[in-house]
Amino acid sequence: MRLPRLFKTTTFRLTLLFLAVFATAASAFLAYIYVATAGEVNNRADSQVRKEMGALERIYQSGGLTALNQAVIERSSQNQPLLYLLMTPQGAPISGSIGASPVAHFTGQPAWASFALTETSVDGQAIRQPARGLEEQLSGGPRLFVGADVGESEAYVSKIIHALWGAGTLMVLLGLAGGLLISRDASRNAASLNGVIDRARGGDLGARAWVRGTGDEYDELATGLNDMLDRLARSIAGLRHAGDAIAHDLRSPLTRLRARLEAGIIEAEAGRANPNDTLHQALEDTDGVLRTFSAVLAIARLEAAADAPGKSLFDPSEMAAHVAELYQPLAEDKGVDFAIETARGLKVEGNREFIAQAVANLLDNAAKYTPAGGAIMLRTRRRASGDVEISVTDTGPGIGEADRERVVERFVRLENSRNEPGAGLGLSLVAAVARAHRGALELDEGPGVVDGSGPGLRVALVFPPAG
Amino acid sequence: MRLLIVEDDLEAARAMATALAERGYDCAQAPDGEAGLREARTGRFDVLIVDRMMPRLDGLSMVESLRKLGDNTPVLFLSALGEIHDRVSGLNAGGDDYLVKPYALAELVARVEALARRKESGGVQTLLKIGDLEMDLIAREVRRAGVEIDLQPREFQLLEFLMRHGGQSVTRTMLLEKVWEYHFDPQTNVIDVHISRLRGKIDKGFDKPMLQTVRGAGYRLEA
Repeated sequence: MRLPRLFKTTTFRLTLLFLAVFATAASAFLAYIYVATAGEVNNRADSQVRKEMGALERIYQSGGLTALNQAVIERSSQNQPLLYLLMTPQGAPISGSIGASPVAHFTGQPAWASFALTETSVDGQAIRQPARGLEEQLSGGPRLFVGADVGESEAYVSKIIHALWGAGTLMVLLGLAGGLLISRDASRNAASLNGVIDRARGGDLGARAWVRGTGDEYDELATGLNDMLDRLARSIAGLRHAGDAIAHDLRSPLTRLRARLEAGIIEAEAGRANPNDTLHQALEDTDGVLRTFSAVLAIARLEAAADAPGKSLFDPSEMAAHVAELYQPLAEDKGVDFAIETARGLKVEGNREFIAQAVANLLDNAAKYTPAGGAIMLRTRRRASGDVEISVTDTGPGIGEADRERVVERFVRLENSRNEPGAGLGLSLVAAVARAHRGALELDEGPGVVDGSGPGLRVALVFPPAG
Repeated sequence: MRLLIVEDDLEAARAMATALAERGYDCAQAPDGEAGLREARTGRFDVLIVDRMMPRLDGLSMVESLRKLGDNTPVLFLSALGEIHDRVSGLNAGGDDYLVKPYALAELVARVEALARRKESGGVQTLLKIGDLEMDLIAREVRRAGVEIDLQPREFQLLEFLMRHGGQSVTRTMLLEKVWEYHFDPQTNVIDVHISRLRGKIDKGFDKPMLQTVRGAGYRLEA
């Protein structure tokens, strides 16, 4: 048997559980009320009966059967709530207000009995009233029954009990209805989230959950789900873009390689060239393609990743000094002055190797484009905003303002760099490293035109403060 | 010198074996990790060249098993996975060196040579000597023909690496990895500049240059 959807929801199950707990508590409450009211009424009647029995016994002991009979007759004739019956040792009635003892099988021991008393009301109708009484055999033989009409108290108790049952039932019903409403609301919210998940699973990454603005846990869940889908969509778009980019970026060098091999074969077959030269050239070209591939792949991976992989906390000044040491001889051999200025106590959280590579690319570019007699400065500092800046300033020709945005794109090489080695991926990689660390790459003019050279370039890698 | 090449790409394995045989190495091949482990356990090999991703038993597990058995034969991992954490996991599994595909055969040969030599030498040396060039690792002094040579700390490290691999070709990538601990490819050959400075210090004024450039491979220090 399949349960309707509603009955399977967590909220509904919780509602049922609470109802069960509530019903148990209500039952205990009712039982207590019963003991405290109905039980108490009976106790009071019983003690009244016992007291009267004692009083009559004393009369019997002092005045004998005659006095007792007289007392019973006297009391029975008065309009009082107690009932009396005096009997012979065999049980035959002598006197009293009731005709027969309600104790069915008297054994000689004091015995209690509950019974119904039929009375005639004022308008002539027969009313059955509940009553309770005690029968005892007095010393010397006569049996005496004393009872009490408990009808009015019991009617009162039963009214209370009825009211309690009624209230209990009403509360259970209200609880159930409320639970159903709440669980319907909750399951509607869950269903809308599930709908979004189903659509996303089906490939629709544009699906977003509705955030109602109430700030409750469903809103939190919806916000979290949306955030996750955003990241997923970005990452998939990044991968797709990376795939396209790699295909595009490798097509041209591979085409060039293929053309050279083909031309080489033709030349060699015609005896105009040495096949060995073609092979060497092809090997060199292949290495170039592989280098380009590695660089494009690294950029694509960084761009696709939501966050830089393999992050650690490190001192950028120490890292910069380490990279500078690798490049210093290169600059000096070219007749370029190389200086480094680092701040203490800086921390960056990121992939040390990637950032080192980015700084290496910047130094490589600076060394390439700065003419002899120029200078390169590598500097680390903390900005007023708390961001950490690693910058390379050179006194080379610089990059015109119009070109600054363009040079970070892949394979963009400005006219004056055509005869320098490199595939035009250096700055793109630096930009990708910055982005993967939620940082920025800033290009500016250097120190300006001095002695006909300059204005120079200042490239800054800016990282948000760690921690 | 006997080598075991554990690689499922048979074409690549053949090319490796050809290049290594050229250098006088005797190469055996295994097509997957299980066969590789079986072969390696015979203990007949001086260096193992192990691809990371292979059918049946991957390279990492193979080397881990081997190390658990107490076999310390030097291992060179080959892998298409070149991120830092891939290298770290390779070295943690018991690899001695890590070469990322695609690689130049000269690079492979140089690294195998370095590993093979390491097995040979063993022990901790405090004094390195090649020809008339001496390096005292404790006093941190370098002398050629008895004349003290003043080196910068990095030049000292560079020369130490070259001397430990005396007579062998070492590639620029090896130097960048082992001396500077960088795993990226600098666009300009910065290493060449460092080498030429070192050459200026140890070879200048001597008839016989010790620090040689090996075409298509890198450098070699020899007496």
